[in-house]
Amino acid sequence: MGFILVLLAALAPWPAAADQAVRVVTDNVEYCQVLAARLAGQGGAHASARHQLAGEGLRLCEAGQVRTGVAKLRRAIRANQIH
Amino acid sequence: MPPPLGGSIPHTTEPPLLGLLRSASGRFALLFTVVFAIAATAAAVVLWWNTAGALDRQTEAAIRADAQALVERHRAGGEPALVEALDDRITVDLANESLYLLVSAEGATLVGNLEAWPAAANGESPWIRMPLIREGTVSEARLYRVELRDGMRLLVGRDVAEKLRLRALLTEGIAWAASSTAAIALAGGWQLRRMLERRMRPVHGTAEAIGAGDLTRRVPLSEHGDEFDRLGATMNAMLDRIATLMEGVRGVSDAIAHDLRTPIARARAKLEDALATAPDEAALRSAIEQGIHDLDGVTRVFQAVLRIAEVEAGARRAAFAPTDMAPVLADIADLYNAAAEEHGQVLETSLPDALPLTGDRDLLAQAVTNLLDNAIKYTPQGGTVRVFARAGTDHMEIGVSDDGPGLSEADRRRATERFFRADAARTTPGSGLGLSLVRAVAQLHGGELRLRDTEPGRSPPGLTATLRLPLA
Repeated sequence: MGFILVLLAALAPWPAAADQAVRVVTDNVEYCQVLAARLAGQGGAHASARHQLAGEGLRLCEAGQVRTGVAKLRRAIRANQIH
Repeated sequence: MPPPLGGSIPHTTEPPLLGLLRSASGRFALLFTVVFAIAATAAAVVLWWNTAGALDRQTEAAIRADAQALVERHRAGGEPALVEALDDRITVDLANESLYLLVSAEGATLVGNLEAWPAAANGESPWIRMPLIREGTVSEARLYRVELRDGMRLLVGRDVAEKLRLRALLTEGIAWAASSTAAIALAGGWQLRRMLERRMRPVHGTAEAIGAGDLTRRVPLSEHGDEFDRLGATMNAMLDRIATLMEGVRGVSDAIAHDLRTPIARARAKLEDALATAPDEAALRSAIEQGIHDLDGVTRVFQAVLRIAEVEAGARRAAFAPTDMAPVLADIADLYNAAAEEHGQVLETSLPDALPLTGDRDLLAQAVTNLLDNAIKYTPQGGTVRVFARAGTDHMEIGVSDDGPGLSEADRRRATERFFRADAARTTPGSGLGLSLVRAVAQLHGGELRLRDTEPGRSPPGLTATLRLPLA
């Protein structure tokens, strides 16, 4: 039984060393604005719907829910590309 | 220091674990626990390989495919096409887990969602696993480095936070399963030990009682008919055999005390009488010769007793050899033919051409001789004595039948006891050891001695003594 615990300990993720970490730069309000600008610049139909989604994404980002806001903006861009 | 003779296994104060290992049931229980643990570990390893391992392999395959596609894009359209492709990928990354970084030969960031080229990505292996910070929380990144033309370098990777969470859940599940398995294994081992001890207790109790002198105790058997019951039954059979042998020894001692005292006392009385009353030297010499003859008879009885004991102990089994009993029986019949004629009897034989078996030829001949002695001794004048033998598929029979008075049912049961003499035979010379030796010889060969009436209902019924011996 002890062997299983040793195995699990060996395979478990190591504790992250934050000083050697790499940082993601797309989880912030500035990137939300970049995506919103990109969405606004895209042509095609459903402009009002795009505007609404961009607005929702930006509001979420400004409310501190950056990842949710970024995801909403990306979905909007993606949907627009498909259409 | 050697253990005291006849003593029980000493009980000493020792650590519980050492005590557990010393006990066979404890070792069985431990073995059970270890086997159970190995099986559980194997199951955990397979589970891990098929879940967490599969997730890792899936991630690496996706990264490799993505990197390959980007390299193709770079090859086809150069740096601008690659930058555009990376920008598109980052923009529409709905899962928000893709990681990219493209740097120039000078190390300047061209495009990507990582802050800077990590030092850990400069190692020998193209695969990098390192901490990842997003929104202030620490996650983990799996990255793959690609060296491009013109000194450009590209990192393609995935944020594996979700997979780590899955892995943590799996780890927790396996830890709980391992704990439960350990508890079950220990409980099972403990239960196994108790069960073994419970089943061994009657055997142990019986052995202790026998050791304490109560030879009547036997191992109680359960209805399971399992290995413990077979052990108990074997032990009971052994104890029965020991009891029979001890009874035999006691019987022999009693018989020697009673039956041999008489001829010795008689010889002594004769010698004393001759010493006191012999009229001349010739009469004294005759009395001494008679005394020597009487004492020779006593010696023969002792020799017969010793021979029976030797046969019963199985000491003669080493002399077993393949032999054909047919000519041996024919010779014995020839030898006794004259004696039968002298008594006015007819000796008939019914023997096959060959009677092969593996055994002690001399002992078998002695047994048949004893049967013939008895038959001729007890068959009246004009009667018939018959020596017969036949071989079956798995056994053979060698027998002697007579027209004598036979034996009652009660006498037949006791006829093979040492020194037993039926009431009707008290007046006939003999020691009461002949059939004892025949039975001992039969048992030595794995067979038996059967006694029955030659002709049931006839008066006298006669006696047929048959040695039934296995062929194998």
